[in-house]
Amino acid sequence: MTGALFAQCLVLGILLGGLYALLAAGLTLYFGVMRVVMIAHSAFLILAAYLAWYFHERTGIDPLLSLVVTVPLFFVVGYGMQRFLVSRLRPISLTTMSVLLTFAVALTIEGLLGFVWTGTQRRVQLGYSGMSIEVAGVSIAVVKLIAFGLAAVSLGALYLILRRTSFGRALRATTQHPEAARLVGIDTDRVAGLGFGLGLATAAVGGTALALDYTIYPSLHWHWIGPLMAIIVVGGLGSIPGAAIAALLLGVAASLLQVPLGTTWAQTVFYLALFVTLMIRPQGFFGGRLAQRF
Amino acid sequence: MRATRRLTVAAIAAASALSLSACLASPEQGGGEGGGPDDPIVIGVSLPLTGDFAEPGKGVQRGYEAWAKHVNENGGLLGRQVELVIVDDQSNADRVASDYERLINQDGVDLVFGPFSTRLVVPAAQVAQDYGFLFVEPAGAAAEVFEQGFDNLFYAAPAIADDHYDHLAEYVLALPEDERPKTVAVASMDDPFAQGTAYGLRDKLADAGIEVVVDEVYPPNTTDFSGIAAKIADSAADLLIVGSQYQDGVNLVVALQQQDYQPQMAAISGAPTNAEFPEAIGDKTEGILAPTGYTPTAPYPSNQEFVEAYTAEHDAPPAEDEANAWTTGQVVAAAVEAVGCADPSPECQEQLVGWLKENEVETVVGTLSWDAQGRPQSAHLIQQYVDGEIKIVLPDDVKEADLVHPKPAW
Repeated sequence: MTGALFAQCLVLGILLGGLYALLAAGLTLYFGVMRVVMIAHSAFLILAAYLAWYFHERTGIDPLLSLVVTVPLFFVVGYGMQRFLVSRLRPISLTTMSVLLTFAVALTIEGLLGFVWTGTQRRVQLGYSGMSIEVAGVSIAVVKLIAFGLAAVSLGALYLILRRTSFGRALRATTQHPEAARLVGIDTDRVAGLGFGLGLATAAVGGTALALDYTIYPSLHWHWIGPLMAIIVVGGLGSIPGAAIAALLLGVAASLLQVPLGTTWAQTVFYLALFVTLMIRPQGFFGGRLAQRF
Repeated sequence: MRATRRLTVAAIAAASALSLSACLASPEQGGGEGGGPDDPIVIGVSLPLTGDFAEPGKGVQRGYEAWAKHVNENGGLLGRQVELVIVDDQSNADRVASDYERLINQDGVDLVFGPFSTRLVVPAAQVAQDYGFLFVEPAGAAAEVFEQGFDNLFYAAPAIADDHYDHLAEYVLALPEDERPKTVAVASMDDPFAQGTAYGLRDKLADAGIEVVVDEVYPPNTTDFSGIAAKIADSAADLLIVGSQYQDGVNLVVALQQQDYQPQMAAISGAPTNAEFPEAIGDKTEGILAPTGYTPTAPYPSNQEFVEAYTAEHDAPPAEDEANAWTTGQVVAAAVEAVGCADPSPECQEQLVGWLKENEVETVVGTLSWDAQGRPQSAHLIQQYVDGEIKIVLPDDVKEADLVHPKPAW
């Protein structure tokens, strides 16, 4: 591998890792707050990408502006989904049943996408799709940079919300000890709903970022959920910084391994990391047990 | 446990809702007894209408449906109307086999047409072979299709995958020494058809001493092509060969543009002949070469009729998938008219197969004939995007424009 190729793949890995980080953050948030395994997270991601594509198709305006609609919309949908579907599951079997429930939601979204927009692959055609900036011999695609920027800003915002607002404190308290949180007067049901909405809002941002640079089709979400699930386990379930670090590391690893191993085998790095984590450190490498820390 | 049960029911309901469309598309057919003169000839097809091959699968569907409509408007086949039963195999090789099993056994269809893509054609053809059915298929061109020992299979297109680029290989090797590419980078989907086409050209060039500097294979579900693009850009190969289906070709070209890789020649099979390709890539298609088994402007006798009939219905000219589907119809129809039967009995199917082995058929892609394994005996046209439009550039006797070399920057 030449130095230039190494640098190029490193940058590509970081850019991809940023997007993984944002999406994994949402996924780990659901688990942290509610012990819910949200299989439909990536289905919502693709839904957001479709909405961005459709918005661009109908109006001709930059798909990024669709965020103004999709982020609040997904927040509300997430809140509703938690209050009216997820919270109806029995607490004792919540985690396992949530897999089934969100699996059904994912299938429904996939089916509806296919029904409304057919199975045809869609791509947002932008004037700047093929454009790139050259820094020290490394080409950085403008669309990837925008996607990374969106992910970084959203992750930062998520961090600030959780650290600096009273809602964030309530959310973290709910994560750490729901009963104690209720004792000090936190409406944990409401907080959980808002937390779910927050997680889904990250899917809206991620989906829009995805639409900038990828061809999308209804069943695409299956290709995302596997690596994302692996990332949050490696990072420590419920830990947002853990998810972000694991996402970046695995994104870079996948990108670099692609050169010697080829595309087919490079993908397995996510699952290998998952197996190694479960064998050596089942609670994850970066979070504590069920991640008390943010 | 009520919640559990309710959820299970919901999950099953969601799953069955997804397969409902497939079921609706296959009404019970009772035409298994040979059919009277007034009964329609029922033709069973399984196609990938969803999943990885949905895009080309739907093209084939449009082609079959346009053909059936055209035949019915012109008096039918042997004086009987033609009726298609099309089911969705979801691009799944296990499913396609059981689909044909069901079409032949339960639905009692009179004839079958093939599905799309080598990966689905092989299991489907096996079922047809087991029941002694004639199997003409529109899209299984990889070498392995013809190495399974099928004696009932005919590929309804001008050439098998390995020979698609023959005209281009000749052109490249005939270039003067200083203009001829020295290095070649290859990337192909892990798919027998895509690989067959790309490797046909790669091997011919490699045999002539052109160095293969990158040789990548990616799985069909790949969406991120930046790593492969980085490798190709790093090699700075003179010639690029891509074996693609559709979306992968689009994504790879965009990723290569993002890394400012500028080859002298870009030969991409699959994606570029798709009508959506220029829309997806924008104004950066100039100079891209692609082999095609079909173009609406080809001067074959029945082609004009096809283009008119198809365009009248769809407001757009047909593409290769539609044309190969139509060709499949033409080939089967020619055999049926010549032999004078169209029923599932082994005698009839055997006669149809025997006739095709001995005869040539005039189609929208030229005159077709086959060897004993079902390989068609012609070569593909080479098209290139010239001034924003895809035009035939090779071979010389049917070209619409001169081949542009080296290609303009994209």
